[in-house]
Amino acid sequence: MSKEMTPAVTLENVTLAYGRRTVVRDLSLQVGTGDFFVIIGPNGAGKTSLVKLLAGLERPAAGLITLGGRPLTDYRRWELSRLVAVVPQETALDFPFTVAETVLMGRAPHLGLLGMEQPADYRIAEQAMRFTEVDHLADRRLDQLSGGERQRVVIARALCQQPRVILLDEPTAALDPAHQMKVMDLMERFRHEQGVTVIMVSHDLNLAAMYGDRLLLMRDGAVVCAGLPSAVLTYELLEQAYGCVMLVEENTLGRVPRVTPVPAKYLAK
Amino acid sequence: MRTQLLIIFSLFFVLSLLTTPWAGIARAGLVTDGAGRQVMVPADPRRVITFAPNLAEIVYLLGEEQRLAGTTTFSDYPPAARELPRVGSYVRPDLEKIVALRPDLCLASQDGNPRHVVDRLAAMGIAVYVVNPQSLSGIMTAVKQIGTLLHADKRAAELVAAMRQRIEAVARQVAARSDRPLVFFQIDEAPMISAGTNTFIHELITLAGGRNAAAGPVAYPRYDWEKILALDPEIVIISSMAGGRTKEELLAGWRRWPQLAAVRNNRLHVVDADLFDRATPRLVDGLEHLAGIIQSGQESAGAQ
Amino acid sequence: MHNSFFSLTTRLLALCGLLLLIMALCGLLALAWGSSSGISLAKISETLQTLFCAKARDSVAAAIVWQVRLPRVVLAAVVGATLALGGLVFQALLRNPLAEPYILGVSGGSAIGAIIGILLGLSPFPGVTATAFVGSMTVLVLVLLLAAGVSARSAVSRDTLLLGGVMMNAFCGAVIMFLISVSQTAQVHHILFWLMGDFSVFSVEQLPVLLAVLPCFLIIFLMARPLNLLLLGRETAASLGTEVKRVSVLLLATTTLMVSIVVSQSGLVGFVGLVIPHIFRTLLGPDHRLLIPASILGGGSYMILCDLLARTLPAGGEMPVGIVTALVGAPLFIYLLWRSRR
Repeated sequence: MSKEMTPAVTLENVTLAYGRRTVVRDLSLQVGTGDFFVIIGPNGAGKTSLVKLLAGLERPAAGLITLGGRPLTDYRRWELSRLVAVVPQETALDFPFTVAETVLMGRAPHLGLLGMEQPADYRIAEQAMRFTEVDHLADRRLDQLSGGERQRVVIARALCQQPRVILLDEPTAALDPAHQMKVMDLMERFRHEQGVTVIMVSHDLNLAAMYGDRLLLMRDGAVVCAGLPSAVLTYELLEQAYGCVMLVEENTLGRVPRVTPVPAKYLAK
Repeated sequence: MRTQLLIIFSLFFVLSLLTTPWAGIARAGLVTDGAGRQVMVPADPRRVITFAPNLAEIVYLLGEEQRLAGTTTFSDYPPAARELPRVGSYVRPDLEKIVALRPDLCLASQDGNPRHVVDRLAAMGIAVYVVNPQSLSGIMTAVKQIGTLLHADKRAAELVAAMRQRIEAVARQVAARSDRPLVFFQIDEAPMISAGTNTFIHELITLAGGRNAAAGPVAYPRYDWEKILALDPEIVIISSMAGGRTKEELLAGWRRWPQLAAVRNNRLHVVDADLFDRATPRLVDGLEHLAGIIQSGQESAGAQ
Repeated sequence: MHNSFFSLTTRLLALCGLLLLIMALCGLLALAWGSSSGISLAKISETLQTLFCAKARDSVAAAIVWQVRLPRVVLAAVVGATLALGGLVFQALLRNPLAEPYILGVSGGSAIGAIIGILLGLSPFPGVTATAFVGSMTVLVLVLLLAAGVSARSAVSRDTLLLGGVMMNAFCGAVIMFLISVSQTAQVHHILFWLMGDFSVFSVEQLPVLLAVLPCFLIIFLMARPLNLLLLGRETAASLGTEVKRVSVLLLATTTLMVSIVVSQSGLVGFVGLVIPHIFRTLLGPDHRLLIPASILGGGSYMILCDLLARTLPAGGEMPVGIVTALVGAPLFIYLLWRSRR
């Protein structure tokens, strides 16, 4: 729960459009410092676009985004890269670097154009690799790893940026349950130990419920509901957003909702 | 006292004779070559490199082949020229090979040799004399220029005189005739190429008493059968090097068109290409050959 | 674990030292060997003396080394370095391992410009060089306008750029064929040699123009880290602090400028920009801080050797160097592809 005065990230009436297609419409939200904030919603709701806006990779057509109280547009790119790290859904593999090289690139925001890596940078990279448990893979090439291992490498790279905010776009999409948990636990640990704000897009509503402090449910570029998991994960709101019937119960692990989509065959009544 | 003065005076006189320009370029000196360049030529060139087959041929004709140190590929006339060291082709002379042969004089042709090679050799201090024979009289000038450079003035004069005589003989024969048949000269095949106004071939055809069917501003224009049928030349001369074909193939190509006057009257003639594309006195051989072809037709036509 | 982090500076210096040595050896070999004489240890020592002794032993040998071979060796080194570096940068910018420096239309444009210059009877320098340069710049601008016009957003998509370049090259190819078909035979000769890469025309006075590419090398080396980051994708690079648009434009402009300068003087030499970056990437990995100096020095050495072969191999006279790079480069590339699949 956020107890800070200034929220980490705010959006006020932000609209983003690609040509004539509006992907985010008049959206306002606040994310507190140190929050574990999960964005959920159906495909095409604008979740990834929202992440791009938060990362400064897209400019809104209208509205204001602030980071740590300052407008996002005030930040230069290198400043921003020291504050916000992005873990994308997929990693390009045309030119596979080794794990060590990839993680070390996370230090780029702190090195400038001509700076060479110092021993301190190597130490930070090693720490990040140990934290994400990929240190034993240091010399392997990215394309020789499994999806889960690769994802952890990218997270390690993000950690090297020493950001205040970390944005993840469906980080668990292609992972098996064990690796999914691993990633989520990593984020939880990171947030806990460093006070970092975690903003994540996820399709897994139960993971979102178990880990998220606050959730944001989106549909068609607009907010359906934002708040505690128990407030957002109700079957009326979920049906409104996803357009399908969801069964909402209490999760025996922790006092959070558990969501189960209901197959059509069980609806015949 | 007076004898002394006389001796001094005579010495002076002799010395001035030896140094005055009219002594010609038989002495080392700055001369203007056929391309308008100022060249410092040696008094007695002993290592001459020619950059084109026709230039080597002229040197042999002048009897000064012992001065030759090298030449370009395709220098094959006279056959002895084949033994000379090669310095690349006349479109791409090899700079390194030229320099390695240590020439004291290079003979180049304005038409064909790349200018930048000439310039670079000149920048390295090697004398390059460029000749520019564009016509029969141009060839005669080139022969005289080369003759003077190589101390063969007399022989050059003889060659030129002989050329003039033979050309005048042909001119007299031609003047006696009244008509000038239309002549098409095929240089190459696929595509069919002939020779325009600014070529030796045009000059030879005209001097031999014909009209060049391909006369025009383009030096080597292309023709298709449609154009040739429209022209309907009376005589067709085919260069032996056209497309690398045999004589029979070349003639067969034309015989497919019996509509052509030249084919009907069997006025198709294959000629030795070397007599028509090298800027040497042998062009006069070509001229005489052409004149013979054109006039023989007229005679047989006259006989009918 | 520290092995993976073996000091970059050390590796860089060792690499540069080794490659400089190789380049020096290649240069020496190329200066000692030519179409007028074969190679032997005596020749090499003679060349060394000519190079370093104030009084040359034999003025003809000195003339051959200094005035005939040295300009060519310098040209070969600069052309090889530029094309290899250009290929490296384009492969990173376009995130396509098959990219090479001509891919955005430089080859087509410069060829048309050069042919026009030859047909107009201009001298190789500055005439044909200038028309070739103007030609390549024009086509590049057209490709950029095309890509910018087609793209919905302000950022030019690399696929559009690639496609635009390929289309332009194809179109230029047709124009080139047309121009050749209406040329006279003597001109066709010059045109063909230009199209196949011709180092024999280069003379010392062209050197200042050629050396204008050296600042470009420096600029690109300074962009080594952004190049590394660009390989990760535009958005990842941006999130790691790269000004993607600015960097891309700078790299594109610098690279196309230097490739155009070089091509307008040497003609179209192919396969260098494709093969050399691949070889070094296989040996050294994808870090551009190593790849950039490696491509410069390695590309230069490779070209010096190719030119040497072009001058000395054929009995009948020098062949265009582009033929050698193709005959050597294509099998080499196929071999690299085959090896990388295992």
